[in-house]
Amino acid sequence: MNKTKEVSWFYFFLGLACFLIPGGVAVFIAYDRGISFAPVLMFTGIVIWGGLFWLFPFIEKKVRKDKKQISFDERDQLIHKKAVMAGYVVLWLYFVTACVIAWCIVGPHGSISVNVMPLTLLGGLVIFTFVQGLACLIQYGRGGKDGEK
Amino acid sequence: MAKSEMQNQVRRLRFEHGQITQQQLADKVGVTRQTIIAIESGKYAPSLPLAFRIARTFGVSIEQVFQYDEQET
Repeated sequence: MNKTKEVSWFYFFLGLACFLIPGGVAVFIAYDRGISFAPVLMFTGIVIWGGLFWLFPFIEKKVRKDKKQISFDERDQLIHKKAVMAGYVVLWLYFVTACVIAWCIVGPHGSISVNVMPLTLLGGLVIFTFVQGLACLIQYGRGGKDGEK
Repeated sequence: MAKSEMQNQVRRLRFEHGQITQQQLADKVGVTRQTIIAIESGKYAPSLPLAFRIARTFGVSIEQVFQYDEQET
């Protein structure tokens, strides 16, 4: 398995875990005690950190330029870019859908709690990570084992 | 509508130039072995700089490595 493909699997599961575990804790805290400032800050930090996972291969490529063994080349870069684009497209569709659904449920004169906003953001980031990882794996997966025919 | 198809002779040229392995070619042109596999199988069209590096590795012109066929459908 290509090293970058392994990294994609790693990001896929680690990214999901990073969002789901603190996300679950945040939801639990919100429902148990009401949202306080500290867990929201902590949660936001983790989400931002997790959301920047996709940058790591590009940074690694810059840092490890002198290394003889190449692990991230132009094809990997292209796959990553396409995956990030797919993630953003689905993220946008998710936000549009969330807005339309909210509008349909509460109606034009209704109101919703502001607690819904960080939860919607969390959902968006989970979807983004999931779609990005999936898109990477699909593109690497084309052609079967090790990219061979 | 025109249907374009990229073909390449990388596999043949590898065998004609001392049977160099995909890994050796990958190291020479600065990519991963998976990229060479993808190029050989026609799943990935390399960038111009990479195409030039591959051609120069074999000591041939770029047209001798990569061919572009345009077919009317």
